Amino acid sequence: MLPPFFGVLFDGLAYGMLLFVLSVGLSVTLGLMNFVNLAHCAFAMLGGYVTVTLVNEFHWPFLATLPAAFVAAALASVVLERFFYRRLYRASDLDQVLLTIGFAFISVAVAAYIFGTLQQPIQAPEFLRGSSTFLGLAFGNYRMFLIGVAIVVTVLLIAGLEYTRFGAQVRAAVDNQRMARGLGIDVDRTFAATFALGSGLAGLGGALAIEIVGLDPSFSFTYLVYVLIIVSVGGLGSIAGSFAAACLIGVSDIAGKYYAPELGAFLIYLVMVVVLMWKPAGLFGKR
Amino acid sequence: MAEPLLKLENVTAGYGDAVVLHNVSLELPENGSLALLGRNGVGKSTLLLTIMGYTQMRSGRVLWRGQDVSKVPPHKRATMGFGWVAQEREIFPSLTVEENLTVAARPGPWDLAAVFKMFPRLNERRRNMGNQLSGGEQQMLATARALMTNPALLLLDEPCEGLAPVIVDELIAAMKLLLDDKRIAIILVEQHTEIALELTADAIVLERGTVAHAAPAPVLAKDTATLERLVGLRVAATV
Repeated sequence: MLPPFFGVLFDGLAYGMLLFVLSVGLSVTLGLMNFVNLAHCAFAMLGGYVTVTLVNEFHWPFLATLPAAFVAAALASVVLERFFYRRLYRASDLDQVLLTIGFAFISVAVAAYIFGTLQQPIQAPEFLRGSSTFLGLAFGNYRMFLIGVAIVVTVLLIAGLEYTRFGAQVRAAVDNQRMARGLGIDVDRTFAATFALGSGLAGLGGALAIEIVGLDPSFSFTYLVYVLIIVSVGGLGSIAGSFAAACLIGVSDIAGKYYAPELGAFLIYLVMVVVLMWKPAGLFGKR
Repeated sequence: MAEPLLKLENVTAGYGDAVVLHNVSLELPENGSLALLGRNGVGKSTLLLTIMGYTQMRSGRVLWRGQDVSKVPPHKRATMGFGWVAQEREIFPSLTVEENLTVAARPGPWDLAAVFKMFPRLNERRRNMGNQLSGGEQQMLATARALMTNPALLLLDEPCEGLAPVIVDELIAAMKLLLDDKRIAIILVEQHTEIALELTADAIVLERGTVAHAAPAPVLAKDTATLERLVGLRVAATV
């Protein structure tokens, strides 16, 4: 076993990485496109159920279901974006909140109807079970895998947004929609693609989450709270901010539950309040 | 002469309920040049915005090489060859100078090398962010950014406004080059009437949202009475 301090730190980081993959898409859509999508974790839950179904019913290998979870959530979000969200880009925050929280409720009901309200069991593949020992310390394999996935996602996202033409078009469309259109950038399509990317990552997060936190129909709301805290603590639209905030919240959540069980799950709210009093725009926020 | 590049037929347009332009008609041949003159607030910028498709058209038609584009959205018009340089320049602040140029670039004779040759200063600033530029550099960047889309028509909205005389000279030289090149048509909105009339072949003067006068630019340049009446003190003040 790890000494408690390292164990808490490592588990907290791994948990943070999971929260990062879940939340970074919302940070992008909320921060860059100013769209309040409270159904974000419904896409995550969809990814989770896709993985559960493919593994348990169709006997796909776990790793192969991860891209499927990404694609399913991304496609579902494209459909919703095309028919519902797009009409509300210029609407008030309240309208967006009402529509998207409605979708979150619907997702809970649909998931309960199809899969029941019980936790969905899943068996991780052999090589992701158990733990490995380095320098006399044992690290959980699945948690190391989570950290690896999160680092790859971060690098790809930052590279994609900062160094590709698509990324430049997203930033241009966010800076000034009218001018972007005037130069021939199809802003609607750019935003739809960005939105699909963010939702796809949520789907991936939902699939990765099953092994750590389980999956049941309440996922849409349970993790919405975490995701919103991370986005606001990290700063809207900042990938690095989400990464830092996810680490902070993940570690404080695990540490709170381990060292101060009576405080338990409330520690993350304290952390959020302290950070936002110190930096109202979040750690890396600009506004 | 075949179809004109751009033709407006009795265009009435504005924003929401407010109608700004009434019955505006104009024609511009391929590689033509047109000065758009008039006092502040007569609808010059609105006319450019209407050509790009940003305003609500009440009646009339906008024709591009004979095709009715009245209902075509702005980003499609841009890909058809409309190039717009906004009055406020509207540089993307979170993109570098080079990204501003390449973000919407389309293949053609205008590439990075060509615009850097025209505006060497942009080459020196290529790694700077869009919000770290002087007014003159912003204007050069906005013009170069539109050229990078290789348009057939360039809409320039008061490019010289608020700039130092040296920069104005540089921009005028660039516009002359573009017009001599004969590969692009230009509509130029300009407060400096004599500069505009020296550059362009034709001119129209707007007053209260309608075309009050249309004439070849060299003729209008000598018609001081009309200029005094429709454009006002500007002429005297800037000579």
